[in-house]
Amino acid sequence: MGLEKFNPSLATHDLIQDLKWTPALRDAFAASEASVLDRYALRPDERRAIEARDFRALYDMGLHPYLGGQLARLIFGNEAGKGATVAVNKLVESLQGKGAVG
Amino acid sequence: MAQIVFAAGAPHAPGLIGLLAAAPSEVRDVVASTYGSLAEAIAGARADVLIVFANDHLTNSRVRAYPDFLIGMAAEHRGPHEWFKPWIGCDDYRVKGAPQVAEALLDGMTRRGIRMFAESGNLKFDDNISVPVHLAKLQDAGVPMVPVLQNCTVPPIPDQHRCYAVGRALGALIRDDLPAGMRVALLGSGGLSHEPGGARYYFIDEAFDRWFLDLVASGDHDRLLRELTLEKMEAAGSGGTAELLAWVVVLGAIGPRPGRSFGYAAHKDFKCGVGAVLWDMDANRRSGGSPGSPGMTA
Repeated sequence: MGLEKFNPSLATHDLIQDLKWTPALRDAFAASEASVLDRYALRPDERRAIEARDFRALYDMGLHPYLGGQLARLIFGNEAGKGATVAVNKLVESLQGKGAVG
Repeated sequence: MAQIVFAAGAPHAPGLIGLLAAAPSEVRDVVASTYGSLAEAIAGARADVLIVFANDHLTNSRVRAYPDFLIGMAAEHRGPHEWFKPWIGCDDYRVKGAPQVAEALLDGMTRRGIRMFAESGNLKFDDNISVPVHLAKLQDAGVPMVPVLQNCTVPPIPDQHRCYAVGRALGALIRDDLPAGMRVALLGSGGLSHEPGGARYYFIDEAFDRWFLDLVASGDHDRLLRELTLEKMEAAGSGGTAELLAWVVVLGAIGPRPGRSFGYAAHKDFKCGVGAVLWDMDANRRSGGSPGSPGMTA
């Protein structure tokens, strides 16, 4: 599961980029995830996959894996050796077959 | 004619800072030896400018408008970018920039038919620049830096032939465009094998890493260009290992010459192989020859 399915048009890419670039948006995402997702032109299955933390489904739609790793950190934690480790393990669990890890 | 006085390739895995203290002692020894040697070599090179090529990691541009090469032209480079601080676990830093060299790089590459983009403000730096700044003690060295963030992961990716051609143009630019007597250092920041964000996130391809380090230290650039394909790098870690293309740019600039490594370590928690190569910029001078070119066209 590498770059072969990459779809640059997927709106989730913009969501992730904006979250990492904008602290206020991260705060809004933490407070009301749905209201932030409403701002992006996500496909219905794309939005469902984000809500279910189904990284495997997102990758099958064409999410770039590097940004997928960052989405996992935005959701599960970003600190070295702590939340970031949880994020990596959740991501791998999803990609290796579990699908939704929410 | 300016001259290249330092050239090296080294990894920038974030764990090298944030997870180093918890690593086994033999791993810490390799990291200390590797970056200590590079820091000493940079300080001893008395360089006037350091140009660093490194994977941008989708940190500065959206996927639909993604430059293959993005030059940082700022008078001062500050990092890491806010979101990456807890992830890397490093202190803030400031490194002096070299706007005139950055401008010469942009203009010279444009004249040579190579499209690069440039930003006059501070670029967003993650581990790509932050790790070498800290571990190779670039703040202490006081050498002005020009970062060039490159596309190593957004398809279509400039392959080994293209990156080597960019490096050859860079070498010509240094020789012909930069001021006479200027001493230039080059660093390729990235690798070794890793798969960030992938299903094999903890995978390290030790056989690939050792093969690669031996190959780039041998100076056999014909073989490098034949064998270091995107497919081979993807197999050794999708979306991550290909940032070794930053080393290829440096190799194109310096031409075939030997180098030396400072050991190798594969530590699961780093999620990346660790090893660097410092190329001998005096090798061909001592043997009376000049850097050759492998049998390929730029």
